[in-house]
Amino acid sequence: MRAWIEKQRYIIDFTISSLLRRKVKNFGLLALYTLIVFILASTMFFTYSIKKEASLILKDAPEIVVQKIVAGRHDLFPASYIETIKKIRGVAAVESRLWGYYYDSLVSANYTLLTPPSNGSPTHNVKSSAKTTVVESESGDQQAVDMAKPLFELNGAVLEPETLIIGNGIARLRNIGKGDYMPFLAFDGKVINLKIAGVLSSQSELVSSDLMLITEDDYRKLFGIDKGYVTDLTVAVSNPSEVAMVASKIKKRLPQARPIIRDEILRTYDSIFNWRGGMMIVIFSAAVLAFVIFAWDKASGLSAGERREIGILKAVGWETSDVIQMKFWEGAVVSLTAFFTGVILAYIHVFFTGPMVFEPALKGWSNLYPNFELTPFVNIEQLTTLFFLTVVPYTVATIVPIWKAATIDPDSAMRFTGE
Amino acid sequence: MIELVNVKKVYNAGNPSEFSALNSVSLHIAENKVTVLKGPSGSGKTTLLSIVGCMSRPSAGRVKLNGREITSLPERFLTDIRRKTFGFIFQQPNLIKGISVLDNVMLPAYPLGEKRSHLKIKAMKGLSELNIANKAASKVEWLSGGEAQRASIVRALINDPHIIIADEPTAHLDTRLSYRFMEIIEKFKSEGKTVIITSHDPLVYESAIVDRVVNLRDGQIED
Repeated sequence: MRAWIEKQRYIIDFTISSLLRRKVKNFGLLALYTLIVFILASTMFFTYSIKKEASLILKDAPEIVVQKIVAGRHDLFPASYIETIKKIRGVAAVESRLWGYYYDSLVSANYTLLTPPSNGSPTHNVKSSAKTTVVESESGDQQAVDMAKPLFELNGAVLEPETLIIGNGIARLRNIGKGDYMPFLAFDGKVINLKIAGVLSSQSELVSSDLMLITEDDYRKLFGIDKGYVTDLTVAVSNPSEVAMVASKIKKRLPQARPIIRDEILRTYDSIFNWRGGMMIVIFSAAVLAFVIFAWDKASGLSAGERREIGILKAVGWETSDVIQMKFWEGAVVSLTAFFTGVILAYIHVFFTGPMVFEPALKGWSNLYPNFELTPFVNIEQLTTLFFLTVVPYTVATIVPIWKAATIDPDSAMRFTGE
Repeated sequence: MIELVNVKKVYNAGNPSEFSALNSVSLHIAENKVTVLKGPSGSGKTTLLSIVGCMSRPSAGRVKLNGREITSLPERFLTDIRRKTFGFIFQQPNLIKGISVLDNVMLPAYPLGEKRSHLKIKAMKGLSELNIANKAASKVEWLSGGEAQRASIVRALINDPHIIIADEPTAHLDTRLSYRFMEIIEKFKSEGKTVIITSHDPLVYESAIVDRVVNLRDGQIED
């Protein structure tokens, strides 16, 4: 056993010295290999983490959002419908919401405007991308406790008439802060100036970067919406297993309503990011293929020097299996170095530098990006998939050339007469 | 010690480029003797040497080593015999560039998994005996022709083989170095080793230490 270990040590030592003797070629291969791993790992880490982030946020979203649909399009929701929904058995609470978008031509950005929940608490859950707010929770209920966790904090700011609270992204984009005024062009062409009462905390950037909180009166003044209408409703259901049933009852009683269940939103997010991640992988699969061809070429196109070396090794007593082992260690050193370097670089890239390379493609397109750091989340399944996408193709591509190299006749060293 | 019976070697059999390098060669090589295989280029000397040294198999015929038939042995066993029984000195030093003289010398012992410290002592002893111990750490490309040749001789001896095989060892050496080489061969003989050399250099086959000269021409032994 000791002799076997010693033999492996000799072979590994010799392999490393062989790799170092052909620095340019091997470092070129290593750099390309690392780049491929880096790209794939970045895509995987980013897609997975953002999906995870979105699902964590949506976990606290309302169980059902009810919109009114007219001719297949989202319409204003009559406040009188609220009573009809409240009467449905299983409905714990119904809350109306007022939200919308405002396009700021000055910076070409779209803001999300929202009126805070009616009970005035600054710590209600708001998810800007799905435009939902959860309100009303029964104390002592675990679900209610989870739902009460704030996704944005007002940092002590108080929302009064003719003031607004803005998200960090807007503050950065417009270079404004507390005490400044922001002009808005109302539906009737009048300019409304609102004073900034505060900025939302940065921990909640993913959900609040483009968010603006304004009072109900200011909202109605800005968009010209009557008191009898809201944007949509959120419905809390007492028993989670009855969500689908309640949604179908809403649909039955209010044929114009469209109830959207939280799970549907989660599924949509999942498929959006899967699709984006998938697109990236499809694009880069061409790069992987090119790499496999390169690896094949590299391994099969042994230089005269390498062939001569193998011939000498076999002539002085190395077996075919020793040469295969040497080549195996060579592949392992290159593969594992590239794999771990690529994964570590991708980890740093995605979780510490902000995935600057792929962010626009994976996160969406906007002038107003949330500036947030993803929570590092890597699991063994991801790493295994990555390993099979990178190390295995390289290994497979080099098996045959390695075998060919290892079976060079030992007497080739005797036939070699030139130096 | 080594016996060849009706050995034939055909290259590219069945192809238009088929070439017969050895034709029915039968030969007995005695133990503790210096045997020279002499002949012009293309006479089959190197082919015969590679068959004797278990580097290649004959197309027909049998090879016996110490009475044991080795022709039909699987590659692993042949390699094992080659590693433990034969030390090879090639026409060119055939050292691996980019690594030190010491590493080159130790290469044949790597598959045996001998302890590094022991192996190093053995290699340094060999280098000292041939007066190149001071070059142990040097890269082989910095060696002179004679030094490289001596390094390759130390490499051939690292596993303490009984039989030394040398293929045209003086082809690239000047007269002084050729004489020096023959002195080393004499030393091997005095240590009880068997030496087989291919050469068409008179300095080799006319040397007093040579016990037998086998003449080869067109793949056959001339009497």
